[in-house]
Amino acid sequence: MKKPYQKPSIIKLRVGLLRDKKSGLLRMVRREIDGVPVKDLVRKFGSPLFVFSEKRLRDQFRYLRRLFESHYPRVEFSWSYKTNYLDAICRIFHQEGASAEVVSDFEYHKARRLGVPGENIIFNGPYKPREILKQAVLEGARINVDSMDEILDLEEIARETGQKIRIGLRINMDTGIYPRWDRFGFNLESGEVLSVARRIAAGDRLEVMGLHCHQGTFILDPEAYARAAEKLLRLARKLEEEFGWNIEYLDLGGGFPSRSRPKGLYLPPEVGIPPLSEYAERIARSLLLGTMARDYPLLVLEIGRALVDEAGFLITTVRSTKRLADGRRAHILDAGVNLLFTAFWYHFRIEIERELPGPPEPCTLYGPLCMNIDVVEENAWLPPLPRGTHLILSPVGAYNLTQWMQFITYRPRVVLIGESGQVEVIREAETLEDVVRRERLPEHLR
Amino acid sequence: MIKVAVSGINAVDNPGPGLGIIKGLREGSTPVSVVGLAYDAMEPGVYLTDLIERVYLMPYPSEGEAPFLNRLLYIKEKEGLEVVIPALDPELPLFIDLEPRLSELGVRSFLPTRKHFKLRAKDRLPVIAEATGLKTPATFAVSSYEELQRALSRLRFPVMVKGLFYRAFRAYNSTEALQYFQSISAEWGYPVIIQEIVEGEEMNVVGVGDGEGGHFGLLAIKKLWITSLGKIWTGVTVKHPGLLEAAEKFVRHFRWRGAFELETIVSGEDIYLIEINPRFPAWIYFAVGVGLNLPERLLRAALGEEPERDWEYPAGKLYIRFTDDLVTDLDLFQRMVTRGER
Amino acid sequence: MKLRRLAINEEGFIFDPETGNSYTVNETGLFILEKLRQGLSPEEIARLLSQEYDISPEEARRDLEDFLEVLVRYGLWKEPK
Repeated sequence: MKKPYQKPSIIKLRVGLLRDKKSGLLRMVRREIDGVPVKDLVRKFGSPLFVFSEKRLRDQFRYLRRLFESHYPRVEFSWSYKTNYLDAICRIFHQEGASAEVVSDFEYHKARRLGVPGENIIFNGPYKPREILKQAVLEGARINVDSMDEILDLEEIARETGQKIRIGLRINMDTGIYPRWDRFGFNLESGEVLSVARRIAAGDRLEVMGLHCHQGTFILDPEAYARAAEKLLRLARKLEEEFGWNIEYLDLGGGFPSRSRPKGLYLPPEVGIPPLSEYAERIARSLLLGTMARDYPLLVLEIGRALVDEAGFLITTVRSTKRLADGRRAHILDAGVNLLFTAFWYHFRIEIERELPGPPEPCTLYGPLCMNIDVVEENAWLPPLPRGTHLILSPVGAYNLTQWMQFITYRPRVVLIGESGQVEVIREAETLEDVVRRERLPEHLR
Repeated sequence: MIKVAVSGINAVDNPGPGLGIIKGLREGSTPVSVVGLAYDAMEPGVYLTDLIERVYLMPYPSEGEAPFLNRLLYIKEKEGLEVVIPALDPELPLFIDLEPRLSELGVRSFLPTRKHFKLRAKDRLPVIAEATGLKTPATFAVSSYEELQRALSRLRFPVMVKGLFYRAFRAYNSTEALQYFQSISAEWGYPVIIQEIVEGEEMNVVGVGDGEGGHFGLLAIKKLWITSLGKIWTGVTVKHPGLLEAAEKFVRHFRWRGAFELETIVSGEDIYLIEINPRFPAWIYFAVGVGLNLPERLLRAALGEEPERDWEYPAGKLYIRFTDDLVTDLDLFQRMVTRGER
Repeated sequence: MKLRRLAINEEGFIFDPETGNSYTVNETGLFILEKLRQGLSPEEIARLLSQEYDISPEEARRDLEDFLEVLVRYGLWKEPK
């Protein structure tokens, strides 16, 4: 019987690196996702591989809906397509009762193709091409207007179609957070909103029925949402009094954090990131306090990241290992920033498919691209990794599958683990044919 | 014999409060056995076997809650730990979150609440200043180059550039400010604090709040000599009525629970609040030396007892910090490195 | 031979009395160091590794090379000419 092997390792001791090495190890192992062994997933579907958990998607949606509904009576969740617009993912959220929040012609088409009726679509974004804008009007989508030019477009469409169009206004304002996003919609403090409102009323072709704001991304201060809700509510009352409109919904946008770990946040996410219940409480409190005996406006939330991020994993494989000039170990993975766009801003949780013996040491994880920026993690503490080891990176469910790029290689499969444990491909791996299909070789180059 | 764990046993040029706390506990009437929690095998406390019976290496708080808790449970199992007194800012949020779970398992502590801890955020100073009648220097929390420039344009040089948990530099021009901003954010993340410099006497108050608006003693001191890192080297006890009154107001208004330190600058009639620390300062032994054994009182509060509340102390007692040498074998180091404990 | 001067204990703690540096090695690292001190060649050590441990000779050889490379960088070992 031979002894179990671990890769030989020697570490030079230096002050600052003489830290505890044992307690971090257990949590780094992940043998399965929703009961399906990582090994089997790779054998069947290849590596790299994106894996989504239907159970996690539904659980998180239901959790958030209960959370907000237990604090406020009228809540609509609108699935933020840009976060992840794979059909299967959108369908799951639509089944759970989410409407669709889209920001472009492509996303609008995708939602319609999935069978979402116009009235269940919220149309945001700073550029809505004229054609799709008209379609949205005709199909009764809720349009949140971003600029004066868009108002002019809509007035023209109203003339063409002979109907009065009900719109939402996108508002930007100071809610005490940095950085302040002031490029979307109309500014509140400067009085721009009111002068735009006067202009709309004078035109008499549009009617404001909702207010929308999007403060930023990964906002760590629940109070900022409370301030936004309060300000929108006050503005709504003012618009109703002055122009006789009925403001039916307040849309607080997205920007809610997941348990992802932004670079530049020292504390671990479970401590440094406020729980979503705090956001729900603060928002509800300002709305309830501000509403009094009046009808409660519909609260719309465009939660993206906080719904989908933690349901997504990326399985990747160590393809080679080398030593850098300073003696540090480096591993080359088969997935890099081409698939993990969010690696620029977030640290992933890195888990290994099985327990590996040997002391953890600092190492760098590189992707497969021939570019210096292709760094998945600059400084990971991992035991020596044999070639072929699978690593599981998470959370990766948000933005990676919409911002990934087809650069020098094919994008891999995406699978969904269903609630009963069956694994289904929800996006096939790309082939050469996929990539070249839209190319044309001019006659003289043939 | 009470088994108590204390962190911050890094008595280096920027010392943690651990050794001061431990000396206080050892001089108190409650017999204790001390377990040191270290983050590096080279922390001097590891080698002071007379003061600290056992030492364990801890995972960094930034590695997450689970490894941290697992390690504490391991120590609890091996040592029969009864109380923990954390003394470092970055680990406090974890201990605060873990307090109910740890106390269920028999490891007690006496900590500020989550809300209290948030007050220490340097951008919350105005809130506290308003409640206590203190002034506050203009303070900006910045997370980007643009915000840094905006903050600098509203202040006069020199300014203080501070990290969220540690580090503070005086910058005399915007190049220096940018340099400190970069080095601080690389180590401690965002936001970085830009603060107006107020000239005056540096005075600090240490105390332990009872969580109901009262306290187990206060001590005010003035720093006479500080090191280039801004750490106290010599100091003297003072009885500044305005300052002590403000400290009592602070405890009453926020119903502060646990140890705290208020850092202020006294300039004539005005008292400026510079910083709040939700823990003992590194000079806590000063309080023990003048007869206010605050570490022991905190220990007794953690054990559910009713500590003394008298806090008569003489003004004009002197505090002298000094360096010391110790020669020992490699054994302890070796044990810490290979086993993570000694 | 530099390796001979090292103080190595059975828990894998290494002290170099000449430079004052300390190191830790794991079990297989310790195994290799001991064999090197006995004057065995890398080929022989790789073979012994795969006899003693659950590892193929090829992978043992690959890992051994990586380990020796680190020893070289730390100035603890030189490839015999």
